[in-house]
Amino acid sequence: MSIHFSRTPLALAALAVIGATSLATAPTTATAAGVAIAKTPGKYVAGDFHNHTTCSDGSISMQKLVQKATVQWGLDWFVQAGHGGSGNRNCTLAEDASLATPAYPLTAQGPATTWQSSTPAVAPKGLVSGTAPSQNMWRWQSIQEFQYPLIEYLSAYKNVPLFVGIESVVAGHEHASMSVINGQIPLSLDTATLPTSPVIAANTSRYTALGNATALAQWEYCFDRNDTDTSRGNTAVGSGVGNNWNCSVTGSLNAADTSWSATAQKLMPSGSGVGSGLGTKGHLKTVEAIKWMKENHPTASYYVPAHLERAGPFNADGNNGFNVEHLRNFNNAAPNIAFGFETQPGHGASSDRGEYAVLRNGYTGSSTNVDSVGGTTYGGTGVYGAQVGGVWDALLGEGRAFWFFASSDWHNRGSFGPDDRRSTQDFQPGEYQRNYTMVRNGADKLRPQTIVNGLRTGNNFAASGQLIDRLGFIACASYPGLAARKNAAVEALAVAAATHNTDIDASECATMGEKLIVRPGADIVVSIVVRDPAGANNSPYTFANPSLLQVGIIQPLNAPVLDHIDLVRGLVTGYKTPGAADYAGEWPRNTAWLQADGTTTGLAAVPAAAKNTSAAVIKTFNGAGATPWVAFNSGVDNTGFLKMTYRIPAVKASQYVRLRGSNLPASVPFETDANGNPLSDVYTNASNLTRLAIPCTTVHTAASQFDGCPDHLGVKTGTTQKHVSYDVAAWADLWFYSNPIFVQVRDSAVVAGVR
Amino acid sequence: MKQWKLWAREPLLHFAALGALLFAADHLLVGRADDPRHIVVGAAVDAEASQLFKASRGHAPTAEELAALRRVWLDNEVLYREGLALQVDKGDTAIRERVIFKALSVVDANVKLPPFDDALLRAWFEKNRSKYDEPPRFDFQEAVLGGDASEAAVRAFVAALNAGTPGDAQAGLRLFKGRPHANLVQSYGAELAQTLEAAPVGLWQLVASRDGPRALRLDAVHAAQPAAFEPLRGVVLQDWTDAVMADQRSAAVRTLAKKYTVKFEATAP
Repeated sequence: MSIHFSRTPLALAALAVIGATSLATAPTTATAAGVAIAKTPGKYVAGDFHNHTTCSDGSISMQKLVQKATVQWGLDWFVQAGHGGSGNRNCTLAEDASLATPAYPLTAQGPATTWQSSTPAVAPKGLVSGTAPSQNMWRWQSIQEFQYPLIEYLSAYKNVPLFVGIESVVAGHEHASMSVINGQIPLSLDTATLPTSPVIAANTSRYTALGNATALAQWEYCFDRNDTDTSRGNTAVGSGVGNNWNCSVTGSLNAADTSWSATAQKLMPSGSGVGSGLGTKGHLKTVEAIKWMKENHPTASYYVPAHLERAGPFNADGNNGFNVEHLRNFNNAAPNIAFGFETQPGHGASSDRGEYAVLRNGYTGSSTNVDSVGGTTYGGTGVYGAQVGGVWDALLGEGRAFWFFASSDWHNRGSFGPDDRRSTQDFQPGEYQRNYTMVRNGADKLRPQTIVNGLRTGNNFAASGQLIDRLGFIACASYPGLAARKNAAVEALAVAAATHNTDIDASECATMGEKLIVRPGADIVVSIVVRDPAGANNSPYTFANPSLLQVGIIQPLNAPVLDHIDLVRGLVTGYKTPGAADYAGEWPRNTAWLQADGTTTGLAAVPAAAKNTSAAVIKTFNGAGATPWVAFNSGVDNTGFLKMTYRIPAVKASQYVRLRGSNLPASVPFETDANGNPLSDVYTNASNLTRLAIPCTTVHTAASQFDGCPDHLGVKTGTTQKHVSYDVAAWADLWFYSNPIFVQVRDSAVVAGVR
Repeated sequence: MKQWKLWAREPLLHFAALGALLFAADHLLVGRADDPRHIVVGAAVDAEASQLFKASRGHAPTAEELAALRRVWLDNEVLYREGLALQVDKGDTAIRERVIFKALSVVDANVKLPPFDDALLRAWFEKNRSKYDEPPRFDFQEAVLGGDASEAAVRAFVAALNAGTPGDAQAGLRLFKGRPHANLVQSYGAELAQTLEAAPVGLWQLVASRDGPRALRLDAVHAAQPAAFEPLRGVVLQDWTDAVMADQRSAAVRTLAKKYTVKFEATAP
């Protein structure tokens, strides 16, 4: 007897489970149309989930970073998420009296103090490395015993939504932003009376938490590549005193896996060099990590690869980057957890924007280094997200719920101190990039669970430089006949949504992260309402944007104006089958993509697995033409908005639409091409002074570094001319990206990943 | 005395004396040079390591951390010297370019800007005025066609546009103001620039670009304007400085080149 599967996306998704040779498990994809479920009210709130403190390799304490993120830069929610692994600094110690709280008063010891040098001292647990008094504490311990209590206390004391995450050092790859929120910020904290003095005892947090981050700590112990502790989360290896964690996943090989350590009770892939398979083994471990989250914390965790192009292509024998198939494997394993990527990296002011660079990475078996995938960022976004028709469109073209996120990746300001406004390295959380996430908290306060729920839905847009801070993006079905929906009616819904900073709840309409199910022949009315905020943004620079100055536009760097919005559409054709030729494929490496002259080879060079050639800009909105976008003032707060609408006629095939926008028009030399696409940032990366291309000619006054081109800008080799680079390059070149709205046409491909 | 004179004429003595002199000179010179097998891990290493550590970790290294940093530096230094001994730097273009860059920096440090005044700058400005004169600029529009952008489709769209169809009827309308020739060439290619610049004003046209045909309309041409020196003095000074420094740098390199015997081989056919 033979079993036949139809080649529907659902069947292919199921085949993914069977045929993935343990790499993939079933996406939860069942979808039912037409049953309207009232949405819990919510608002778009700005946040950041990837940043560093003295707990890992950041330059400021947790207290100072929380203060910067939530007060100076005004984020609505904040996840403190440093590197996995270990660290020797006591990151609960703050810099100055302005950061002191009753439970964490200022002491004579600053944030550079090691755990063991603290008074009273703190003893690292487990398989301890280093030499006293600077021995390292494993991240699992610092999260469980010190970081979480401090974050819980600050959340309650300051009444701001905070929780703890990790930028995991990923087995088989580079990094990922993740968290498991179970236990964090319990409801009982709402009514708790906070202590008025600290607990002073050896090996003890200053504050005794009501909740815990034990689940996150266990994940860190079990699955972070840099956590090589074998103690099972105990006081010492073999002590049996402590967490006694076991990292097995139901239904997996666990102890039968050759990488399993009986002592550590976890997978510990090893090997080096060509043929070691270290990367492949690591990737399999990471799939197990995601399965573990699904098994134990299915709605309370997320896993989002960070700056995923930076470390180059996947390396089967080492730990480099991610190819499209790895994103598919993660998403197949747990679609509600591995639901997106940070393809817009932080480090926006670096000499290599995003720290993406040509020949950046060593690569096992290769005598030459490999580029970050794409070579550089493109307008600050990695090539996977920035290239229309590239990896992101390939994933969306399958009908996957796979979302675009941005992050600050804050560590330090390079040549400048943390309180300076200039930077040659990073921006602080909320200063430059923001995720605006729809959090449906009703009348309740923002809590970790509703924030994670919001991230998972994909109802999120990301903007740099506060280019926009409100977005209403909706699509509604309109059928021919008397009941045909008018453009104005749809636009009115978007206006109401954006001016109230919320979304829509209307039948046969959908917004970001959702899908609209329509009959063939329906028109899709797409309405967009944005707010380009008036006044100055967070840029300290008041002189004219040098990139725009090239084309005769005079616009202060700290007062950017949205130039246009592109509506991108791609067709949905269903899930790729694991093992099939179009499931896996590496983005063209090195000059096979970014050529020596700064141009790219184009999608023809990209393997089928990593592209969706149906994706294209189908409409550009701006203030030109017979039907330009229309400016209006909000009836809510009288602030200025722009509204625009486009009708996609008579759809026959399933598809998605998404947005991007910029302060830069098309054909700005060294910034955008003739079609408005962002060019490689190679021309503004100061790591190679010979290639700097945009002069910065405004002379600053003697009293200021902000009213003209600051002194730290790169000077082009062989000249004395400062050029656009570092933070000025970032403030000059702003973008926003929305997540998609899917349209599933009956009798066409199923958008299987989206409910 | 006669005996001494005889000895003084003895070639063997001359040979021995010269040999001794050479040996002494060699010993003196080599003794002063760095011994490739002698590595000093000293204050300079500590200072560099401490600075790097502090930049990334926010505090100065402890004694133990400094010891570990010294060990890492030493390991790297050993690898560096062994690599040089193995000549792994040969044929590596990245290393070659880095060395060229550093050598050029040394040359740069030794070039000096000659005195200047406004008369000199003004003369230089006049000699290079094509660089400063405002080039002709072009206002134009592009009506973007969604989907099928074949030549036939663009041609039909152009006809519709000239018959009154709005420019944003399809995928959108892009307005460009005051774009110079160089911008047109860079973004669209020389062919489009040439065609557009010669196009009649106000008429939609199919114009070939390096990415395919486009529907464009030239709206206005702003004639070239001669530049005035005064408002540009600061820019001129910077450009003159760059040019003088570049000339001096080239001259310095040419002087260095005189030490070498250079043979130019015939270019391969």
